[in-house]
Order: sequence, then C-alpha cells, then structure tokens
Amino acid sequence: MTEPILQIPEGWEGRAPEGWEWATLWTAVEEGDHTYTHERVEQAIEVGIDPRIILDDGLFPGFNLQGDRFSEQIIFIPEMLITARAMKAGLALIRPLLAAAAEKPLGTFVMGTVLGDMHDIGQSIVTIMLENAGFNVINLGTDVHPDKFIETAVAEQADLVGFSALLSTTVYYQKVTIEEFEKAGHRDKVHILIGGAPTSQEWADECGADGWGKDAMEAVKLARRLVAEQRATWDQASN
Amino acid sequence: MTDRLELRIDGEDGRETTVGAARDTTILDAAHAAGYEITATCGARGRCRSCRVKVLEGTVPPPTVQDNVQLGPEAVRERFRLACQTKLLEDTRVRPMPPKAESGYQILGGQAATTAMALDSGVEKRLITVEPPKSEHHQTSDLDEVFNALGESLTSRRVAPELVRDLPARLRQYKGTLTATLFRGQLVDIEAGNTSEQAYGMAFDIGTTSIVGSLLDLATGEELAAVGMINPQAPFGADLMSRIAFAQFNTKNLQTLRGKALNALNDLIKEACGKAEVEASQIYKIVVVGNTCMHHILLGIDVSYLGLAPYAPVLRDAQTIPAAELPLKAAPRAHICTLPILAGFVGADALACVLSTRLYDSEEIRVLVDIGTNGEMVIGSRERLVACSAPAGPAFEGAQIRHGMRGALGAIERIAIDEDVTCGVIGGEAAIGICGSGLIEACARMSEAGVMNASGALTRKTEDLPPAIGKRLVKSDHGAEFVLVWGAESGKGEDVTLTQGDIRQLQLAKSAIYSGVAMLQKEMEVGADDIAELLLCGGFGNYVDVASAVQIRLLPEMPAERITYFGNAAQMGAQMVLLSEREWQRAGELLESIEHVALAARPDFQELFIDGMNFGAPKRRDETEERTAVAV
Repeated sequence: MTEPILQIPEGWEGRAPEGWEWATLWTAVEEGDHTYTHERVEQAIEVGIDPRIILDDGLFPGFNLQGDRFSEQIIFIPEMLITARAMKAGLALIRPLLAAAAEKPLGTFVMGTVLGDMHDIGQSIVTIMLENAGFNVINLGTDVHPDKFIETAVAEQADLVGFSALLSTTVYYQKVTIEEFEKAGHRDKVHILIGGAPTSQEWADECGADGWGKDAMEAVKLARRLVAEQRATWDQASN
Repeated sequence: MTDRLELRIDGEDGRETTVGAARDTTILDAAHAAGYEITATCGARGRCRSCRVKVLEGTVPPPTVQDNVQLGPEAVRERFRLACQTKLLEDTRVRPMPPKAESGYQILGGQAATTAMALDSGVEKRLITVEPPKSEHHQTSDLDEVFNALGESLTSRRVAPELVRDLPARLRQYKGTLTATLFRGQLVDIEAGNTSEQAYGMAFDIGTTSIVGSLLDLATGEELAAVGMINPQAPFGADLMSRIAFAQFNTKNLQTLRGKALNALNDLIKEACGKAEVEASQIYKIVVVGNTCMHHILLGIDVSYLGLAPYAPVLRDAQTIPAAELPLKAAPRAHICTLPILAGFVGADALACVLSTRLYDSEEIRVLVDIGTNGEMVIGSRERLVACSAPAGPAFEGAQIRHGMRGALGAIERIAIDEDVTCGVIGGEAAIGICGSGLIEACARMSEAGVMNASGALTRKTEDLPPAIGKRLVKSDHGAEFVLVWGAESGKGEDVTLTQGDIRQLQLAKSAIYSGVAMLQKEMEVGADDIAELLLCGGFGNYVDVASAVQIRLLPEMPAERITYFGNAAQMGAQMVLLSEREWQRAGELLESIEHVALAARPDFQELFIDGMNFGAPKRRDETEERTAVAV
C-alpha cells in the first residue's frame, strides 16, 4: 500500500497567467471547502483561464487525491461526500462553458439502485465521481424497476448502465435486470457495470455483467476504459 | 472488567456488612457465603418475596420474570429485587427489605407497590372424577362424561383425536380420578390420577445468532431450567440478509432452515425437561419470540420478499398453533404462541422488549436499544411509541473485523492507552483476537490518545505520540494498522491489530445504531436531555462499557447513570406472556399502537447516518476559512 500523494499537473504554470496559483484550490477541494472552491473557480474564469484547464489543473488534483485516499480507506464516506460537494460547486460553473465550447461528455451513464433496494449513498458517490470525470450521468435513484433502466438506456442512447445493490437479498435483481436487457434486445447496445458491498468479480461474471467496480474510483476507471475501448473499435471500423 | 465484586449490605440494625463475590453470583448466595442471613422462605426459587432487597447504589441488575411476578413492575422500577434471582454485575449496595418491614422504609422507597404480575397462563388443571357411562339406553360417551365433569370452564368441544384414543383405560384407572388440562377453555390433556400440580411452559427467544429458552412452572412462575444454543441456521448465513438470501425463491432451502429451527426447539425442550426432571408432555404453553425472519422461517412462511423493499412481513398478528401442527414433537400437548410482528425488521422480539420494559406505561420518555446484527430501537412513553430498526451488520460480533472474534477466551475486551497499550483479555490468556465490546473500547481509547482522529482516520503524525504508541502504527498489505498486541505476546504468533478497514466497519455499524436513535428522537421531537432512561437490551449490552459507547457515538450523548442494562428483555417479555394472558392480550394491543419508522425510506436519515459515522462532533466547513490566494 502506498500513501496517495497530490499529483501536481506538469506544466500548469505555463497554462495559467503569471502570478496565478492553484494550491489553495487543490487544498479547498481536498478539505471539502465548497464556498472557497466556488469563489476561486469564478476568479479563474474571470481572468480567462480555459475551462478545461481549470478542471484539469485546478479541480482534479485535490479530488483525485481524496478519491485515492477513499479507495485506501484513509478517508471515509463523510469526507468523500464533502469533497464531492466542493467539486460539484466548481463543476457547476465550468460545465456550461465546456458545453459551449462543444466539448462532448465522455459518454452517457444510466445509474441506479436495483429493485427492492433503498440504499442511496453508494450510487450517489459513484454518480458524482462519474460526473466529475466528464460523464453525462442520468441517476434514476433507488428501487429502480428493470423496465425503467431499459427505457432510460434506450431513450438516452446510454453507453453504460450501472446497477448498485447493497443487500445480499437484492443482488438477485442485478442478474434479473441484465436478463431483462437481453430479453428487450438491448444488451449488446450498452456496457453493464455492477457494484455494492455484497458484490464481487465472481458475481459480476455469474450474472453476466461487463464489469465490477470494487469502489467508486474503480467504477470510474472501468467506465473510462470501456468507453475508450469502444471508441478505439469504432475508429478502427471507420478507418 | 474485574471478576471480583463488592457487595455492601445495609443491615436492619444500621450496621453495614461488606462481602466479596464473583460476578454473576446471586445477591443471596453472596450474602450467605459471607455468613449474612437473608431469609429465603421458598428455598431461593423465586417463589416468595422474603428475600426482597432494595438496590441503593450501583447499577440495578436487570430484573427477572420472577421479580415481576413476586414484586410487581412498580417495585421493580423502584429498584427492588429478589436477592435469590438477582446476579451481581458490579459493586453494589443493597438493603434487605422483607415485605413485612415495609412501612419502616417508606422514606427510602417511596411507596413500595405490592401489585405483582398476576399468574394467569391460560393453562388450567382440573381434578375431576368421572364415572364411566352406565346406561345402554341413553348412551353417553367417555368424552361426554369428561365434558360434563368440566362444566362451564370448557368453552370449546374441540379435542385432538390422540387425546381420546387411550381415554377408556385412563378413565377406568384410579377409580375415575382424572386430571383434565384446559388451555384457553379447550381440553388439551387428560391424565389418569392427580397431576394438578404439574403444568409447565417454555419461553423461547430465537435470535439470528443464538436461541435461548427457559422452562417455567406455570403455577408459581419459578424458572426450572435455562437452556441455550447457537442458532443451527448460522452456517447458512451469519446475518439476517444472507439467511433470507439463502431461502429466497428456494423452497427447499427454506425447509432446511425451518428444520434446523424445529430441531433446535425440540432439543432444547428435551434438555430443559431433563435438567428439571419434568415430563415434556406436561408442557402446555410455549411462547416464541424472534425477529420477523426467524418467526417466518419457523412457521415455514416464504421470506423471499422480506429481503426486498418495502421489506413487508407476510403476517403480523399473534398466532396460536397446536404442537402437532407446527410440528413440535418434543412437547406434544403444547400450544405454541407467537407474538405479533411490528414490521419486516422490527419483530416479535422488539414487541416483547416493550412488554418487559413496560415502555408503554412509562410517564417519561425512555428509549430501548437492542444492539445486534439487526439493531432494534423503540422510543416513547405511555403517550406514544415509535420503533425502527437499523442494520448494524456483524461487526459487533467480531465478524468482518480482521482479528475479530466472539467474546470468548483469548478475546481482547478491555484496553488502556497511556505511554503504551495494555489489553485486558477474557480468561487472562494471551490475546488471539478482539471482540465487539473490545472494539468499541479500543476506538474510544484510540481517539482519546490521538491515535486516530474524529473522522476515524489513523493518524499520520506519529511524532506527536509517545514513542511506544507511535511504533504501533504500522503499514502492511492491509493498509494502515494499529498493533494492539505484538506477535511475540499474542496467542496467535502474529500481531493482533486493528486495521483502518476495521475502524471503517465499526463506523458503519455504530452509526446505524446512533442514527437510528437520532431518527427516533427527531420523530418524537425530543433531545437527549429529554430521555429519562436508555435501556440497553440483549446479550451484548452486558459487556459494553457504556462510557466508551457514548464516547464513540454508538449511544446518544447522555450521562452513564441514565443508561441501564436491562438484560435479555425479549426473553423476559416471552416469559411474561407465558405466565400471563393479560400480557398476551397486551401484545396484541401494542401491535396496533406502536408506530414504525422505515429509515431507508426517509431522505433525512442519510444525513443523520453520515453525521453518525464520525467519532467526534462532525467538522463543518460551511464557513469559509481565510485562504491566502494570490488573485491576479
């Protein structure tokens, strides 16, 4: 196990105006200070820093540091949530600018807790992490019927679908929902990820999911990898 | 925990006698061993009130059903106990107060109520003399003659066929002297001769982890035997949810679990009867309480949907089932009475706790907390009662903790941290693991000592700690760990540690309980100061250091003297229903009046749950701190 450290983006100084520094924002996101995060991102926009650079150089370092610490259990749900809240405050300012600059989201992700399960915290953390990573996430909440998942995935042309289950009695519905996707003829059109405390890679294999997120950070990495692979396949096909 | 306790007895002559005694010794035995005479007219069987004492100092030990039967609930609340039934848990000062001297002690006890719980089990034994039918013309039957002799006390003519099969011989034995047994007005047994003194019953609490039972004399309320075992369903899932998952949509597995439960009850009945030397066929009433899942499995009811939102029980009302129908072969003449269920995760056990703690009759607001894999909590007074459940998971039982174990020999249960760490181990042996109560205490001491911070993170600033403590913070493949016992001194050959992950498990578990109580307080609109008493129920409560539990925010912030260990309240509720039909009726009434809050369905619960994870008051970052930003 290695202690996660702050990854300072190389060459940030060259990308920001002279005299500008990001360190206070890194710490603010790390410590979950959403008020300061909002202020500092506002200032960065005012001085004309490119929104993509604000995201990569200003917001991600502190956020990724906390994400890695969360994976190592050095921090826990309360701290992760306040960091996520600060990140959200910054993103709220940046997202419209990214959209205006015609930056496409990495992909569309339909997320929810399966039928029969009311647990919300796990999937809401994954949702925030995915949004922060650049995904367009449609969160269906808890106790979601398989039909609702399918309907939304079809309507939104989702690239990925995620099923959370926090009870050993409800993981059953992860399998059922995947079967329903098959019956509806939509299984090949999406990548399906599963997660939640009682789940495992073995269970993911058994129920026919495309991947298992051990924790929120893993889920994001997996989602990124799957869309990247898909893009590569498309690129190959079009060449 | 010291095993040697001090009992101080305030004599009637004003002299004080001090007696040393082992933990779990009864007050009566401790006094007698030291030569102090307390009269026990009934022979220390809990059948009279002669050995009554008042607990003047020290936590009042949990009452037994005999305390309720002999002294009544008011006296029990006024700290009166039967010396022959009450076991010492800590240093205690008592004054013997045999009932006849009551008036002299008014000043101490206010008025000692004398309304004991009425013994009315619903089982009635009647000695009758029955002439065999004589006339061939106007023929009657053997059974008609029995019915005639019983007269109006019989309210039903229904009778199990096997009762009648050998009636002819019995009727003609002992010159027609028979003992007829009625249960709720129905004939349930006919014995030759006079057996009117022999009527027994059993009370069971079927928990996810263990099953306990007691055999009671229905006529006197005396406990004749206590039995218990690990729930044999445990290999099919340690916690409730995995147990349900095993039987979910699988009838064969459900039957397997049911068979295990029935076998367990049969074995425990035989064991109890063997110990007490009574006939199992003279057990006429069996009261069973348990959580909803255990209850449903015992009755063979499909539990598939119990594990899925909205977690609805299949059946809630109290049931009375003849042994042959359940089937319970060991006690063929018994009727099995199950208490009502409040909700999917607030079972008959919670209702039994309300009965035995008499929460429904409390003038002030009290809260009862049963810390278990599935924590159940009820708050309220005679005005209003609200219940909820919170899944704490098995961390308190030592499961999912790297070096976790049950509270058995070799388990760390006490911890002190000053310049170094000192551990108290059950049985005084070399440590091989840590049990649930040890885990709570370890976290309390570690946060005091600065080994971990309020958010539960093990500190990275080892230089601020005493050197011996700093050395115990290590990193391994399992992440950061705090070494409680070094490998060289452990009974395991390796370090016994608490990992960062273990602390995270405990945080989830303790927050479930803490935020559950917080939610009930919110529902009742009361602060911790408004709660007159917190009653800690269930086996685990016995071992928890209350101050540590409050410190780590497992229990709400309230002074330790307002937190009382109440013992196995569910089991006692079952015993009370066994002995009293009034309590049985009350259980039905409570089903109607106790409200249930489903935590999962409340959006505000999540906030409380997240807040409850911290060991200290949560750090708020709503106010922006000064940051020296170089603005351009």
